[in-house]
Amino acid sequence: MSIQVVDVTKRFGTFEALNGVNLEIQPGELVALLGPSGSGKTTLLRVIAGLEQPDTGRILFNDEDTTHTRVQEREVGFVFQHYALFRHMSIFENVAFGLRVRPRAQRPNEAEIRRRVLALLKLVQLDWLADRYPHQLSGGQRQRIALARALAIEPKVLLLDEPFGALDAKVRKELRRWLRRLHDEINLTSVFVTHDQEEALEVADRVVVVNHGRIEQIGTPEEVYDHPATPFVYQFIGHVNRFRDPHAASDANAAYVRPHDIDISEQPDASAIQATLQHAVKIGAFVRLELARNDNGDLVEVELSRERFDHLNVANGKVVYLKPRHSKVFIEEAA
Amino acid sequence: MSAVLPLSIPVPAATPAVRPRVRWVPAALIAVALAYLALFLFVPLAAVFFEALKKGFGFYLDAIREPDAWSAIGLTFTAAIIAVPLNLVFGVAAAWAIAKFDFRGKSLLITLIDLPFSVSPVISGLIYVLIFGLQGWLGPWLAEHDVRVIFAVPGIVLATIFVTFPFVARELIPLMQAQGREEEEAAAVLGASGWQTLWYVTLPNVKWGILYGVILCNARAMGEFGAVSVVSGHIRGLTNTLPLHVEILYNEYNFAAAFACASLLALLALVTLGIKTFVELRQEHET
Repeated sequence: MSIQVVDVTKRFGTFEALNGVNLEIQPGELVALLGPSGSGKTTLLRVIAGLEQPDTGRILFNDEDTTHTRVQEREVGFVFQHYALFRHMSIFENVAFGLRVRPRAQRPNEAEIRRRVLALLKLVQLDWLADRYPHQLSGGQRQRIALARALAIEPKVLLLDEPFGALDAKVRKELRRWLRRLHDEINLTSVFVTHDQEEALEVADRVVVVNHGRIEQIGTPEEVYDHPATPFVYQFIGHVNRFRDPHAASDANAAYVRPHDIDISEQPDASAIQATLQHAVKIGAFVRLELARNDNGDLVEVELSRERFDHLNVANGKVVYLKPRHSKVFIEEAA
Repeated sequence: MSAVLPLSIPVPAATPAVRPRVRWVPAALIAVALAYLALFLFVPLAAVFFEALKKGFGFYLDAIREPDAWSAIGLTFTAAIIAVPLNLVFGVAAAWAIAKFDFRGKSLLITLIDLPFSVSPVISGLIYVLIFGLQGWLGPWLAEHDVRVIFAVPGIVLATIFVTFPFVARELIPLMQAQGREEEEAAAVLGASGWQTLWYVTLPNVKWGILYGVILCNARAMGEFGAVSVVSGHIRGLTNTLPLHVEILYNEYNFAAAFACASLLALLALVTLGIKTFVELRQEHET
């Protein structure tokens, strides 16, 4: 099932949540909507689900206009940020709900419901929890039950709102790998919202970077990381240094350089930037250096391998010479 | 407490000095609270039962079984049986609309629901006299068609509905708002219709809140005096509710009978308190 978002705009009062959004998602893709909070990414997901009506624009599933299809008939699986499990129902009944509320003619019989619910619980590896209630489960377990419940109606697309947002770091890492494997297994067109760039880069086939209700860039994780289309994407995904021209009047034409794309040398070099080392932190296999430029005082962050750092033999307060290996200049930034 | 500590141990600046516990302060506060409760709650309650049984248990039973008292009890139940279910349906509908949907005039609706709480019960009764009374707007038309509202059972039921109007809604609105809309949205995405969502998701989540609201609503419906007094006309055996009957007996210096009937209302209050406590415990247990 492909999803097309065409010229979608959505306002809440005076707040412009979505502003002319266009997006095409291929069948079987796993796409991340990545952006800071308030960027409109959740609104976009809810518009696709039919939980919000766009003010203008259209949503197409498999080239079929579903803009005015009611959420009940849209056949989407939606996993809420806080899971929204039915608190007074057992886990079994939670997963069975979507089947039980079907019109009588389409409703599977009790044995079939039982078979399907247990199969789904097995899929999310929690079949032993069928008789428990949501409040007896851990966050990670609730998340997987929410997913099983969403899949019970055999949705055409799966939408997940900050699926790992409320979990602790370790569970989050396990779950996102698990989600990736699950997606490869069932191959359902999936869209998930996240503000965590690492999560988006690790899990998704393609990343959609959203900011201020607009899409800044759509691309594979490599594309958005290595070739950011806008200064926002550069700053939002990964660390970045902005090199201002000390002689320029405005901030325009600043160069963007990743911390690991800067070389440090002790030898004076006319084309290099002079800076003073202020601070060095060893983090696992690499070292993060904080330096101050001697010409305008701007802070520069550099990442070196441990080996290279030891080889340099620099101490705090020492003057070194910085040479960016890759940089990118956005000419129209000031506009 | 510090006597045995060596003085050289530095006390962190942020920690306030621990004061020796003064035991009589909490004890005195508890005593004041208990004395207050005893004076204003237990003594009157005990007095009701004491006065009611003053002339013996036989007299007590006679006072309750007397036809006028019996009809007052019947009318009280009639008013409650009509008012409580109506306000239950209205309260659930209003709370559902307010907590789960956004619409124009929502704050106006909330204000209107609170109106019976903010208006004196006497005014509440008077409103119906002004509308349905013989000199009122609809009075002459009703009289022509031989329909009696004021000084008759319909007036009493209307007044009871009005004063008990906010109980269920007021109980449910904060509860439903706190539960949010996510479960309802989840149900909708899974294909549930509005009714299915209400029946299988929303109502089970607030069932104890509903029961709680119904209990309070019922207690007020049976105990209401002011509004009902204005519209009743105090016709013995016809338009007297239990609280009105108590007043009449008292005014006739028939104290023992008055207190006997009053003890029924007091019992109702005790039963209400018992159920209320039980519901609260269950509610706590489930969340």
